[in-house]
Amino acid sequence: MIAPPKKMRLAGLVALWIIALAFFAVRSSGFLSMANFSSILQFSTLLALVTFGQTLVILSGGGGVDLSVGGIVSLSGLSIAFGLKEGLDPYIASLGGIAFGGLLGLVNGLLVTKFRLLPLIATLGTFYAYNGLSVALTVGAPIAGLPTFFGTLGQGSVAGIPLHTVFIVLPVILILEFVLWQMPVGRWIYGIGGNERACRLVGLPVDLIRLGIYVHSGVMAALAGLVADSWLLSARPNIGENLELLSLTAALLGGTSIFGGTGGLAGSLVAVLFFTSFQSGLQMLNVNAIWQLGLVGFFLIFSVLVDRFIRGGEST
Amino acid sequence: MSGNPIRRLIGRREVSLALACLSAAGIFRGFSPYFLTATNLTTILQNSVELLLISLGISFILATAGIDIAVGGVLGISAIFIGWSVEAGWPLSTTVLLGPVAGTCLGMVSGFMIVVGKVPPIIATLGLFGVYRAAMFLLLGGSWISGLPNTLAPLVNSAIFGVPVVAVYVLAFYLVGWLILRWFPLGTAVLAVGGNERAAQLAGVAVGRSKFFVYGMTGFLVGFAALLYVARYRNVETSTGETVALDAIVAAVIGGSSVLGGQANLVGTMLGVVLVRLLQNGFVLAGVPSLWEQVITGSLLLLVLILDAAVKRSARLKPVSVL
Repeated sequence: MIAPPKKMRLAGLVALWIIALAFFAVRSSGFLSMANFSSILQFSTLLALVTFGQTLVILSGGGGVDLSVGGIVSLSGLSIAFGLKEGLDPYIASLGGIAFGGLLGLVNGLLVTKFRLLPLIATLGTFYAYNGLSVALTVGAPIAGLPTFFGTLGQGSVAGIPLHTVFIVLPVILILEFVLWQMPVGRWIYGIGGNERACRLVGLPVDLIRLGIYVHSGVMAALAGLVADSWLLSARPNIGENLELLSLTAALLGGTSIFGGTGGLAGSLVAVLFFTSFQSGLQMLNVNAIWQLGLVGFFLIFSVLVDRFIRGGEST
Repeated sequence: MSGNPIRRLIGRREVSLALACLSAAGIFRGFSPYFLTATNLTTILQNSVELLLISLGISFILATAGIDIAVGGVLGISAIFIGWSVEAGWPLSTTVLLGPVAGTCLGMVSGFMIVVGKVPPIIATLGLFGVYRAAMFLLLGGSWISGLPNTLAPLVNSAIFGVPVVAVYVLAFYLVGWLILRWFPLGTAVLAVGGNERAAQLAGVAVGRSKFFVYGMTGFLVGFAALLYVARYRNVETSTGETVALDAIVAAVIGGSSVLGGQANLVGTMLGVVLVRLLQNGFVLAGVPSLWEQVITGSLLLLVLILDAAVKRSARLKPVSVL
């Protein structure tokens, strides 16, 4: 054993990120500018928030996966815009939207814990239900023209760093890391992912924790919806498109095992930054956006294959 | 088990599904007098053909406790190759072979990832779906293949002894599928892998080969469905096959396949496909905009799973009579 595989993996990912940065810096002169740095952060927030939720879902094991995150982003974004249009106070509208996202996550959680459906199939159902609802309710048209004061969170920045990075993404990851590493609940999440049966026998409220994790994923998606609304000053029914694929890929690329129990948020965050840098670089090189979808699909499979390779010796 | 024969009959998946189809038909008739006409029922069945073929493959995959999200991409790419071949005026025999061959190859790619790479099926096929969507876009170059000549029409329009040829395809494939499951060691192997992979392996079942088979076979069926798709619509768009994976999974699960593997009910799958298409058609006729289609299909999936879970639970809680 040279180094713990987990550390090696994270280091490998950071190296991959740096290689990508260097590549784009050489190929495109504007890439290493402050403006591009802020734009990378600006674009990474949505994916980062959704990926945090997704990571915890996968971490808690039991085949955990949340395919409905994109639909929740769209639906909660729409609900916030709807509230604003109805003249609600922006804070109340935002809180309402976040609560709504939590509710949509609760539906997932109940399907998984109460009805004992496989997360994959339960969230595939809600994926279509939520995405379909957001398109059907709006007939595909965005709710545009939100009041400009609502744009502060999504468009403002301090020293080139977007406000939502400072006031949402950073606090969220710090709190989550604290909970995961310092509080019993966080250790239990890893425990459930590692050996669910043992945790049940020890008397942990496994179902309740898992329910909470799905609600949390919904809340994270709703936060992403809030940021999107505030950034674009409109709510698009398809804003969450492909986020399930992206967040799943980012979480797995970041080193969280698809079987649960190992991994964490730091890797997910690096993976998200890697993706967004990649995206921005490809854009600067005028590469068609559809390539990104293909590359993401490739990375998804690649990261699991790498996992196999690294952990191959341990597991069997 | 309850001794009441009527209850047992209704408990059969096929019977409860047929009842669901009939009652749905009865309700939709109340909304639209057009629903129960021969023309509309024929339309529903015609619209079911491609999905019937794909769902047959998905039933086999679910039986091994796998899943395939990429079928839509396979359908699209196969359809592009077929479209090009028709455009180029290649002989009919080549075109007809091209679809299933392309589909089988792409199916084998999934199989390879899953068997050799040991990537969980959901991850492998979700990733491949992204790759295929991008590939479709690149192959099509952003435009559509449209206005193809009518050369493939005999594949879908002709009849054998008065039976529409598409019905013959469907019945033939399902018969073969049923025979494999029922009479061939391969079918038993597929079910064994889904029931308990490790036990199957220890018992000497060729686990990898069985999985390869189900993904390859699904690719073949999807390729054939692509052929029928091009023959019927004579165009290929970038969005071709986008939602077919959900429809197929929903149909198979409604039909009694378990996502946990180990069981397959081909008659159930057939009825499941008909129910899905019937509902989609009925809601449109009842005046619900087609935008709601995804919501309806997704909710249907969840509803059936919840009902299944409830039934299973009540069956478990019932006092077991020893005598």
